[in-house]
Amino acid sequence: MQQNDKALLSRLKEQKVEFVIIGGVCGVLHGASLVTLDLDICCRFNRKNLRQIEAAVKDLHPRHRLTANKLPLELTDELCGSLKNIYLNTDLGVLDCLSEVAGIGDYEQVLQRSISHGMSYGEFRILNLDALIAAKSAVGRQKDLDAVKLLRAIKERKDQQKELF
Amino acid sequence: MIDEETLAQMNGKYVCPPDAGPAWRAAMEYGFDMSLVEDALQLTPEQRLEQHQHALNLVLEVKEAGERNATK
Repeated sequence: MQQNDKALLSRLKEQKVEFVIIGGVCGVLHGASLVTLDLDICCRFNRKNLRQIEAAVKDLHPRHRLTANKLPLELTDELCGSLKNIYLNTDLGVLDCLSEVAGIGDYEQVLQRSISHGMSYGEFRILNLDALIAAKSAVGRQKDLDAVKLLRAIKERKDQQKELF
Repeated sequence: MIDEETLAQMNGKYVCPPDAGPAWRAAMEYGFDMSLVEDALQLTPEQRLEQHQHALNLVLEVKEAGERNATK
C-alpha cells in the first residue's frame, strides 16, 4: 500500500467532504522538511459528512485500521452518531479523520484557525501555523515536540518575511 | 583558489542566514537540516506536497525492501 495524499485529498474534495488538513501533511504544506506516513484531517462528524467520507473511499477497501479484525468501513446512522474518530487503511494509504484536535478543540474551532489554499486539484483548508504548533505541543510526543521546533523556526522566518505560506 | 569557508560549504557546512532568529538557530542546533527547510520555503504548498510524496515513496520502498530481506 503506497500512501498517496494527493489522490485521497482529491477524492475527499470530489465528495464535498468538509474537512481541514491537520497533522504532518499540514506541516509539510507549511514547509516542514518531515516525512509523514498518513493523512490526518479534522472533519465535521455529522451523518452527511461521514457518509461523504465513506463515498470518497468506498472502492478503496477501507478498513478501521485500529480494530483487531480490521473491520470494513460500513457506516450506519447509529454508528455515525457514536463515532468520534475514524482511523482508516485504504488502497491509497492511511486516512485518519478526527472530530477534534488536541490543543485546539472541535471542528468549528479548528475551522476558525485554518487558512484556505488553492491547489491544482482544489481549494483546501489547512490548520494555520500557530494552531498547528499549539496542536503538536498539546500532543507532546517527542516526534511532535521535534516538529514544533521546526515549525517555530518556519513561523519566525515567515513572520520576518510577512508570508502566509 | 577556493577558500576554506567555501570548501566547508561544499562539504556540507550550513551557513545560517545572518538575519536568522532564535527559533531558526535553535532548530539548526537541534539538528534539523535547515537548508532543506529553506529550499521548501521557496516552493508553493502544492510543490511541497509533491516533494514530500517523492520522499515518502522512497521511504516506503526502503521499508518494503527491508521487510523482504527480513523474511528471506
